[in-house]
Amino acid sequence: MVRFLIRKLPSLVFVLLASSIVAFALPRLAPGDVAVTLAGADPTAANIAAIRQQLGLDRPLVIQYADWMAGLLQGDLGQSYLLRRSVASLIGDRLGSTVELAALATLLVIAIGTALGVVVGSVRSGWARAGLDLVNSVLVAVPSFVTGLGLILVFGVLNRWLPVSGEVAFLDNPVIGFQFLILPAIALALPPAAVVARLLQAEMLVARNEDYVDLALSKGASGARITIRHVLRNSVGTAVVAVGLQVGNLLAGAVIIEAIFNRNGLGQLAVSSVQTRDFTVLQVLILAVVFVAVICQILTEMILAALDPRITLGA
Amino acid sequence: MTSTEPLAPVTAKDVPLLRVEGLRTEFRLRNGGVKAVNDVSFDIYPGDVLGIVGESGSGKSVTARSIMRMLRPPGEVVAGSVRLGGEDLLALPEREMRRRRGSKVAMVFQDPQAALNPVMKVGDQIAEAMTLHGVDRQTARRRAIELLDQVGIPDVRTKIDHYPHQFSGGMRQRVVIAIALANDPALLIADEPTTALDVTIQAQILRLLARLRTELGIAIAIITHDMGVVAELCTDVVVMYGGRTVEKGTVEQVFEQPRHPYTAALLAAMPRLDDDRIGQPLPAIPGAPPDPAAPPPGCPFAPRCRFTEDVCEHEPPELLQIGTDGQSAACFVAQRATTDVSVRDPEPAPADISVHAAPEAAVADATTPVLEVRDLRIDVGSRRRGLFHRDPPVYAVDSVSLSVHAGRTLGLVGESGCGKSTLSRSIVGINRVSGGSVLVDGADVSTMGQADLGRVRSSVQYLFQDPYASLNPRRTIRQSLSEALAFRGVGRREREEAARSLMEQVGLRAEHLDRYPHAFSGGQRQRIGIARALARQPRALILDEPVSALDMSIQAQIINLLEQLQNELGLGYLFIAHDLSVVRHLSDTVAVMYLGRIVEYGDAADVYGNPQHPYTAALMSSSPVPSVSARTRERIVLPGDLPSPANPPSGCRFRTRCPIGPLVNPERTICTEIDPQLTLTATGQRAACHFADNGKETE
Amino acid sequence: MADIPLEGGIPRARRLNPTLARYLSAFRTPKGVIGLSILAVMSLAALLAPVLFPGGYDEQGREALTGISAGHIFGVDEFGRDIFVRSVYGLRIDLSLIFTAVPLSMAIGVLLGLSGALSEHLGSAVQRLLDVIIGFPGLILGICLVAILGPGWPALFLTILISGLPTAGRLARGAWLAQQSREYVLAARVLGVSRPQLLVRHVLPNAMDSAVVNAAVWMVVGVYIEAGLSIVGLGVQPPTPSLGVLLNNGLRFVTQSPTYIVGPALLLLLVAVGFSLVSDALNEAVNRR
Repeated sequence: MVRFLIRKLPSLVFVLLASSIVAFALPRLAPGDVAVTLAGADPTAANIAAIRQQLGLDRPLVIQYADWMAGLLQGDLGQSYLLRRSVASLIGDRLGSTVELAALATLLVIAIGTALGVVVGSVRSGWARAGLDLVNSVLVAVPSFVTGLGLILVFGVLNRWLPVSGEVAFLDNPVIGFQFLILPAIALALPPAAVVARLLQAEMLVARNEDYVDLALSKGASGARITIRHVLRNSVGTAVVAVGLQVGNLLAGAVIIEAIFNRNGLGQLAVSSVQTRDFTVLQVLILAVVFVAVICQILTEMILAALDPRITLGA
Repeated sequence: MTSTEPLAPVTAKDVPLLRVEGLRTEFRLRNGGVKAVNDVSFDIYPGDVLGIVGESGSGKSVTARSIMRMLRPPGEVVAGSVRLGGEDLLALPEREMRRRRGSKVAMVFQDPQAALNPVMKVGDQIAEAMTLHGVDRQTARRRAIELLDQVGIPDVRTKIDHYPHQFSGGMRQRVVIAIALANDPALLIADEPTTALDVTIQAQILRLLARLRTELGIAIAIITHDMGVVAELCTDVVVMYGGRTVEKGTVEQVFEQPRHPYTAALLAAMPRLDDDRIGQPLPAIPGAPPDPAAPPPGCPFAPRCRFTEDVCEHEPPELLQIGTDGQSAACFVAQRATTDVSVRDPEPAPADISVHAAPEAAVADATTPVLEVRDLRIDVGSRRRGLFHRDPPVYAVDSVSLSVHAGRTLGLVGESGCGKSTLSRSIVGINRVSGGSVLVDGADVSTMGQADLGRVRSSVQYLFQDPYASLNPRRTIRQSLSEALAFRGVGRREREEAARSLMEQVGLRAEHLDRYPHAFSGGQRQRIGIARALARQPRALILDEPVSALDMSIQAQIINLLEQLQNELGLGYLFIAHDLSVVRHLSDTVAVMYLGRIVEYGDAADVYGNPQHPYTAALMSSSPVPSVSARTRERIVLPGDLPSPANPPSGCRFRTRCPIGPLVNPERTICTEIDPQLTLTATGQRAACHFADNGKETE
Repeated sequence: MADIPLEGGIPRARRLNPTLARYLSAFRTPKGVIGLSILAVMSLAALLAPVLFPGGYDEQGREALTGISAGHIFGVDEFGRDIFVRSVYGLRIDLSLIFTAVPLSMAIGVLLGLSGALSEHLGSAVQRLLDVIIGFPGLILGICLVAILGPGWPALFLTILISGLPTAGRLARGAWLAQQSREYVLAARVLGVSRPQLLVRHVLPNAMDSAVVNAAVWMVVGVYIEAGLSIVGLGVQPPTPSLGVLLNNGLRFVTQSPTYIVGPALLLLLVAVGFSLVSDALNEAVNRR
């Protein structure tokens, strides 16, 4: 385990480092100057220079980068110059909203994805299989924002069954909070769930043709037992990898879903900071996305190793 | 180390255990049905070992799956009955059939690597076979330990909780057999149980099967393409061809007096360990087995048979008894019993493959080898270099010296993992050489720089094992040959002529140049591979298992072609194979390889006649021989598996399996201490063994 | 003693390049025909939009936010503009984006992926860089690029271009790695074929299969990236219409005119269906034996 992390470390550090450089470079690649913006309507040269010095923008880039990174590592996420608040508090206010959406969506991806995959992967009847396959193809192809728009129309506009705009924190009021949460979570989860289902189904099809399935059959095992003990058990790793890979897409999709359902989460924060060119916030958010993706990757490999005796994390 | 037990019937033949009658299995495809099994009937009596033998596409495996009712869609049994102890399995509902599977009839599969569930402990997999039939867990586990012990797994109490990947191929096959035996079935169906295994491991498994039969009285149906395995293990044999049974009888009958022309021709065409036909072409069967999708209307063998008459081409012959002792054959000619179908007196060799003495040119400069390797070492270790450590080198080939002369063949023999392919591939620059030298026509090319590679490639060409993988499916034969011709510097205009003559040289039609590889059969593709290699006009050819992927009836054709080309062109061959008989037929000199080393090297007649290294002796005696008389020979079955080249044993690399080394004679400590070198022996060849002359006193 | 030539069973050699023939065979299947027809109608409409609707996408009518009617099959928007006309003009933006960015992305991606065939070190270095891009899902990458370039066509183009690289590169590298140990590639090497020649003659035709299928898949992804960024307000800026911009506007007026978003959404799905059918048909064609 420890050896696995040590072996994995260089490539992870590389990805994080590269991303941090991208994030750091963002404001410096963009046209315009923060100092000019902050100096107000009628800036003087001295005014601008003072602001630059105050922000440390007059120092060499390497120093600025090192300073910024050192701050991040110590938990100092910086200040939003426009909103005059700490980035940490801006993110803290909205973290809960995004986390509950992402968590419910991930649960749905796992539940819907495996259920659909197993059913399509084990149904014998040609018609049922073709029908489910079609449903799956539609789910893969329709993006979450279209699903979201459809859900809003059906559940919020044509019928007023569920709230489709805004939110109530789940922890404050679970019942109302869940009502606000369920539609965006479904919209967000369906396309990745369909991808997971499709991969799982394909893997089950492969496993079904393996010799060990024949051996189980020749032992006298029933179809259901073969599906669960031999086929699914050997395909579930693929589903784990698929879920792990979909987490990035889930986070990206959350940006749009939050906009559509008017939830005040991190996605909305990211969009508004792009629109107002508030880079200090954006930088941290981008790094956070990459960080979460990396953590998911490590988790995926650990689960895989637990599932498959042929994989050892140490070696 | 004793010979196998005599194969007398265990019980009297009265009631058949399994009776298959008129079995027909079809694969229903969109464009019509493919008759994979067409009217097959046979009986298995208690204690019998029935060999069902045939080439790929003969329907032998489908027959086995039909009996077990384990056909994959779209396969379907359309007619016939399969009676096990009087009860028709084909008529049972699936639920009832499930109860029979694994308890009354059990199955062993070809590839032990794939047959075990990789994420389940082997003990659980054995126990599952019993719990499915109502045995409780504790009893099942106790029985699993017993079974593993019975099939010869050492250290059972720890091994039972291991996963399949922790076992070697041979050990896995033992586990599969243990699973099959779990419920004391009356019949064991083994589908090519040793095909994926090495010769010495095959010998272990065959011995295990023979022992089970005598100890448990179990009947075995063994499906195989290997006539040698049949002769070794079986009491009765069913020969299949093109989905039909062509011959049926006891092993003695079929091998001593084959009645069907196919059986006879096949037995005659096979090269043998004790071959006295060295330097002569084999009586090959022309043509290729029928395409199951488009079988001939009459006898499936008619297009290739030298006795074919009018009637053979129009209606399929029935399987009828010939003589009074139960042997039967499906052949109009044999049934009239006027013609002897055997190929005793070889048919006159056709003019185009008549064999002459090696041409003068080849003999003249036989002094400098066209190809030579000296003290070659090849590191195949992962070249992974971590921050903190570096993987130690793994020498798949360690200090090997060989030479190939013009017009002569050096046979390189060894089991998988011994390094023979690594060695041959490094000669043509595919693998990197890490020590020693490679010489082409006396010039050192070991560094494999641009100039060296140019020299190698114009003099040495390579023929790959798998004719399906060695041709780019997207390029026509003309494109493949032109590419090669261009490198020889043949101009655009001359290429057409050159390509046509190459095709003719390898026995193909020049009109087929514009076809893609998929339009050719395996044998034809191998001919194309030869043509492509010849396009560069090499002086030496490396033949990497060139016939082992081909059907039995095709092998002799390619062997003859290779021999004929050698005589015409004075080529030097480095012939790599695991099949000792094929090597014997083609080679002048033989080198035996074990774990990266040459252990014996010398004249083919000497090495085969008087093997001096115990490994060579074991290989020889492990090779199944397609003859009943060979059953009584002494058999040396090596224990254990090939050690990993990453961590070779100290001293002699063979000592961990050697039947005359410290395993048996603890006082021979020299074997663990000193690495033996190749030294000249009394019989003329060289062997790397401290006790070379004792090689044959194995017992 | 030759094998008896199998006279009947062998299909006659076709002169057409088999790779190309295989791709074309995709458009003889029902899926391929339907998909291609949808895309052809869409592309034609988008191309001819100025001819079909000479008034342009800004022509305003008297009423605003009415639902679907005979005169306006998608309804009219908040300024009384016909949503169908705006949708067809919007298609111009979407199709022009994906038809330029996706092929370019695939070509660059395949080249990057095959760089490993020329040098192992180069290949693994390139793979490392592509791994970093994978860390940024399409939309996040889009947000970064919009932050730098500001919203508009260039940012969208680059987002689609860059986000397609890792997949294309990985597929091409996979094809190379799979083939490098195949016997026919070894056989070519033994004949003396150099690495660049090997790449062009033996590896590229096989790598093309996955690249072509992937390109069709990525066309849909491209449309979704445009729509996604536009919905959150980071796509092309009004008054220029794109499918995503129309969805964004429609969402704002969803209570007043629920049908506003229906037309553009259906059109978007139709584009996706067209490309999906084509990619499915291609996929089946290249895997057909």
